[in-house]
Parts: sequence; structure tokens; C-alpha cells
Amino acid sequence: MPISQKVPNFTAVNYCNSNRSMSKETPKENPELIERLRDQQTCREAFGEVIAKYSEPLYWQIRRMVVNHDDANDVLQDTFLKAWNSIELFRGEAKLSTWLHKIAINESLTFLNRERKRQNLSIDDEASMLVNLIEADTNIDGDYLAQELRKAIAQLPEKQRLVFNMRYYDEMKYEQISEILGTSVGALKTSYHLAVKKIEQYFSNLD
Amino acid sequence: MEKSSEILDKIGRKSGMTVPEGYFADFASRMTESLPERQFNEAAHKRTFWQKIRPYTYMAAMFAGIWCMMKMFSLIVQGGNVDLSIDNYPVLQTALADDSFVDEFIYSEINRYDIIEDIYEADINPEELFTLVDE
Repeated sequence: MPISQKVPNFTAVNYCNSNRSMSKETPKENPELIERLRDQQTCREAFGEVIAKYSEPLYWQIRRMVVNHDDANDVLQDTFLKAWNSIELFRGEAKLSTWLHKIAINESLTFLNRERKRQNLSIDDEASMLVNLIEADTNIDGDYLAQELRKAIAQLPEKQRLVFNMRYYDEMKYEQISEILGTSVGALKTSYHLAVKKIEQYFSNLD
Repeated sequence: MEKSSEILDKIGRKSGMTVPEGYFADFASRMTESLPERQFNEAAHKRTFWQKIRPYTYMAAMFAGIWCMMKMFSLIVQGGNVDLSIDNYPVLQTALADDSFVDEFIYSEINRYDIIEDIYEADINPEELFTLVDE
């Protein structure tokens, strides 16, 4: 779905449209950026910098969950729209990246639930839905083992899938994952360990 | 330290997923351009009076609660040590010093049968007692 179709009509009194140019320089996560995001004169430009910086890591996080590129694109748009519309709620207590990752995960899970309901599938059928999507995915480089690993990850429960993706692919620290998912480090380590065991089991069954 | 997995080491961290060429650069510019106009809510930035004093109010309430708890605790502890002797009750002391009060409100409630039973319980032969009274 094109972005323009997703954009709701706003009848705002005060607008922030002072500057439409987007800085190519990657901003550091600092209080100054947060202040610029809150200032109606600079918010659009600052948010452009946020999009430029975070679109790639957020895309991969979303893509690993929803599998399909077009779906990941839609969910990424929704993520940034949600962040844009609720930037005032971001108090700066957590990192901006943590806040954006939380929104991206919520949007991904919402999308998967919606898809499951649309296809009239139970929660146990989610794995087969994802495997079908993986097999139908055309945006791949043809690596057989990487493809099988994606299928193995698709068999994992939702939480383990999230933890495994963030730990294995994004190489996030457990402390950071803990902030995003709101789960203790110990529980995350257990989830990751179980996920690795299940993936090993999947590959041993393939042999 | 996490144990490494043989199969994961073999596959590496490459997911095998790709994106169309120039996707991210294109996405960032399209997304920024398509951001809707947003109404700025100044009220969201301003903290109300209640929001400012709320933590102090909660803290005061907590201390008041602790004080009440301590007070109750000390009253309960003191209650166990209160001197229950009649000397502590001047009104009762005065009343018991008055013979007519004792006759009227205490002895009138006791009948002969009760008195004899008390005498038996005290290992005193009532006949001896009556003899003494008669003398």
C-alpha cells in the first residue's frame, strides 16, 4: 500500500512544516535531537533524520518477523507514522532506538495477528503461514541454509523468535533486548538457549 | 558466555533476505515527504499543577501511613502493659469504698446458695461457721 493511502487526513491548527529537506548526516541519539523533535519548527527535519538513521535496522527487524518485503515495507511505514503521531509521548527516559523498536515489534505482531485472522488460522498455524511466506518470498539470495534457518526460526514461539532475531542477527545485548521486550535478562537467556536448541533439532531432523 | 552452535556457525549471520536496490534511500525520502501535518499539543509539554505535586503528595501520604501504623503498633504494645489494678481507676475505687454501693449492687446479686458453695470450695465446714456466727 502506498504511503499516501495510509496517511490520515489531519485538520491541524498549528503545523510543523518549516523545512522539508532531510539531513544526510546521521544524528547521534542525544537530548538535542529529542528537543528538535518536540519543536514544531524543527520536528519534520529532525524526524527525517530519525527515519534515515533507523529505517534500515527497523526494516530488518520487521522483515524477519513478517517475512515478506512488501508487508515489511507497510509495517515500517506504520511504525514511523505511529512514532510521528505520538512523538510527544516520548519522554526521553528510554533511548529513542528502544522506543522505535518497541513500536516496530508491536506493529509486526499486530500485522501477524491480523493476517492470521484474515486467513482464519489458529495461533498454532502461524508457523505454517510463515513457512509458506518464506517459500514464496522472491527477495532472497538463494542461500539454501539461510533459507532453512528462516524456516526453523518460523517454527519458534513468538517470543523466542523475537529474542533469537534480536540476539543472533542484530547482535543486541541482552540488556537492550530486556528494555525493548520488558523481560528479565535471565528469561531472555533461557529463551535464546531454547531457541538455539530447537533450531539445532530442526536441522538434525533435516539430515 | 553463550555456547556456539555448530549449525549456526556454519550458516553465519546472513539471513539471505534482500531488498530492491536503493530501497532504503528511497524509503527515507518518500516517508519524510509523506508525513502528515501534525497538530502540536502544547498541553502535552506543560505539566499541570497536580502532576508537579503528585510525587510529593504520594510521599507525604506514605509517611502519614507509616506514622499511623507506628502509632497503632505502639498503642497495641502499650495495651499489654497497662496496670489493671483497681488503684488505676479512681471512680471504681470511690464506688467500692461506699458500703451502700457494695451492698446494693454487689452483695444483692449473691444468694445464700452461692455463699455456701464458696465456703465449701474454700475447705471450710459451713456448720462450724454458722456456730461461730451464732456465738
